[in-house]
Amino acid sequence: MKMNKTWLVFRNEYATHVKKKGFIFGILSMPLFVVLMVLVGFVSVWLEHNPAPVGFIDLNHVMGNVQQVPLKKKQPFPPVHSLPFEDESSAEQALRDGSIQAYFLLTDNYFNSGEVIMVTTEKTGANAEHDFGDFLVHNLVKDQPPVLAERLREGPNLIIRSLDGAREMAADDWVSILMPILAGVLFVIAVNISGNYLLQAVVAEKENRTMEIIVTSISPGQLMAGKVLGNLLVGLTQLFTWFIFAIIALKLLPTVFPVKFTPRVDPAGILLIAATFLPAFVMVAAFMGAIGATATDPREAQQITGWFTIPIVIPLWFTNVFMFNPNGALSVAMSLFPVTAPIALPFRAAFTTVPQWQIILSITLLCLLAAFALWLSGRIFRLGMLRYGKRVRLREAFSKSGSKP
Amino acid sequence: MPNIIVDRISKTFGNLQAVKNVSFEVNPGEIFGLLGPNGAGKTTSIRIMLDIFKADSGTVSILGGAMTEEKKNRIGYLPEERGLYQDIQLERCLVYLATLKGLEESEARGRINDYLEKFDLADARKKKVKELSKGMQQKAQLITTLVHKPEVVIIDEPFSALDPVNTQMVKDLLKEERHRGTTIVMCTHQMHQVEELADRIALINAGETVLYGGLTEIRRRFASDGVLVRAVNSLPSAIPGVQEIRPHNSSTLLKLENGKTPQEVLNTLIHQGIILEHFEIALPSLDEIFIQVVNHESE
Repeated sequence: MKMNKTWLVFRNEYATHVKKKGFIFGILSMPLFVVLMVLVGFVSVWLEHNPAPVGFIDLNHVMGNVQQVPLKKKQPFPPVHSLPFEDESSAEQALRDGSIQAYFLLTDNYFNSGEVIMVTTEKTGANAEHDFGDFLVHNLVKDQPPVLAERLREGPNLIIRSLDGAREMAADDWVSILMPILAGVLFVIAVNISGNYLLQAVVAEKENRTMEIIVTSISPGQLMAGKVLGNLLVGLTQLFTWFIFAIIALKLLPTVFPVKFTPRVDPAGILLIAATFLPAFVMVAAFMGAIGATATDPREAQQITGWFTIPIVIPLWFTNVFMFNPNGALSVAMSLFPVTAPIALPFRAAFTTVPQWQIILSITLLCLLAAFALWLSGRIFRLGMLRYGKRVRLREAFSKSGSKP
Repeated sequence: MPNIIVDRISKTFGNLQAVKNVSFEVNPGEIFGLLGPNGAGKTTSIRIMLDIFKADSGTVSILGGAMTEEKKNRIGYLPEERGLYQDIQLERCLVYLATLKGLEESEARGRINDYLEKFDLADARKKKVKELSKGMQQKAQLITTLVHKPEVVIIDEPFSALDPVNTQMVKDLLKEERHRGTTIVMCTHQMHQVEELADRIALINAGETVLYGGLTEIRRRFASDGVLVRAVNSLPSAIPGVQEIRPHNSSTLLKLENGKTPQEVLNTLIHQGIILEHFEIALPSLDEIFIQVVNHESE
């Protein structure tokens, strides 16, 4: 069966790029980087950890008969023991001879002021303060009914709901907040990588002098569509692989660390991200292709691309604006403006209920710009394909005779 | 009906008129030589024929009408700017380009294998294109031009970078294609190749057609009044009706006096008892015609 030529280009683009060492390195670099960061974090915590016990002087016996904090399952560093001392001089002696790493003095007016004095040395671990805090809370509430003690220890499970009841999220549901930020960052990385592949592919057609062979076999429109879609899939493959790594990491993390969260995947959020990212991807890829066709060599194309991708990441610079004023003029404007919308719209949606008309308008504008970008890139490609060492000017693309050299 | 009709095409780039009212026709099953000095407008004319460039005026009919996407599969093109994907294996590159010409992948593989064997490239099929010599890449490029059995083949300088053995192989291949009924437009500077292969030619100079027609007819048109002879015994120093006698390669050129015909000179030589091995009307080489026409045009 004869295959559609766009499909042939698409398949060739995809197969060519996913087999490149650069792509495989790119796919593995992100999870390896995350693993490395986790390891560095773990090692730095481990280096700061001191397993030696701490001492305390509870002059007014506010904790009563003390109990050690029970060991939690899968705790990488067990909490240090807290040893009672009758007076400060004996605790100071123990600190001097190294049998404890620090001691805490609950002052006379602890209940009124909450004041606790910590006496430390250079050898005191970063964990001492935290572990004693847990020990203090545990003993202050130990005589309460278990359910009440648990609530006092854990605090309220706060649910935040919008006035119209359309949005609801747990206050500690950081995944919902982090998701659009993370997705935005991954989008920028993926779009840059696959956009650059597309740019390279177009420049390579010029460098390899294959343009004439190609355009006498296939229309520039079919060629560009195949290249854009092929590289879109390259980018999506990269995102999908990272997503799989993230799922695996989230599954593995609780088996190693006692993290307590149950990320709730919001289907509407995922849908919104997909609806903005796909046309944005096509738009960026088409512009990258056009840049490749206008540029005279790969280095020049790379320089132009750098300037082009900056507007896309602008919303990330205004994180605080989106968090604290998601319905302000700047947030709304950035979520509607097609170049900033791919990141701004899902980002804003994480903090507020975006009116439906704004979502529809934003995605429509994105789709229109993506279609325009494809049209323009096809036109520029036709003009620039046989120009070696001479740049295509934008006004030529819009001229009446811009469809053909 | 001609397979290609180029009718008064013109093209200007900025201030440069690259092609000016160029017209010619190419018949089915003939090899047509498109000749001209550097910058004459040959490549621009070819690009207009193939719809890569748009003519400012004039029309091109190819395979019965204007160029369409469907017709691209029926045309083979070897551009002057040779190009193959350098970073992929030769076989994959050829299969990809063949499928873009409408061949099924399995069929493309089969035909490419045959061509690789024929062109002595079978051992290079798994090599990256950039690892091949210039001559090997040239042969590979020729495979992409012919693999889909096109009805029209347009080739720009097909013999560049080829050694004599491969040049002969390409010539044989073009003759085979002509025999198969393929219409071939050959654009080259190598006049002796054109003389050997082309049926008809068009000579373009400074964007204009300055010579057009059958090869033999053109040579006759430019023939000087002379004959080439080779005799067993030596020629006399003076021959009636001959104004000049001078050696020409392994023969002797007899320049005839005005009004004298080759037949009369032949009779004279026979009457003088000269035993002839060879007698032919001296026709100019295409090189000589080319230089003569181009020089005349530039004066």
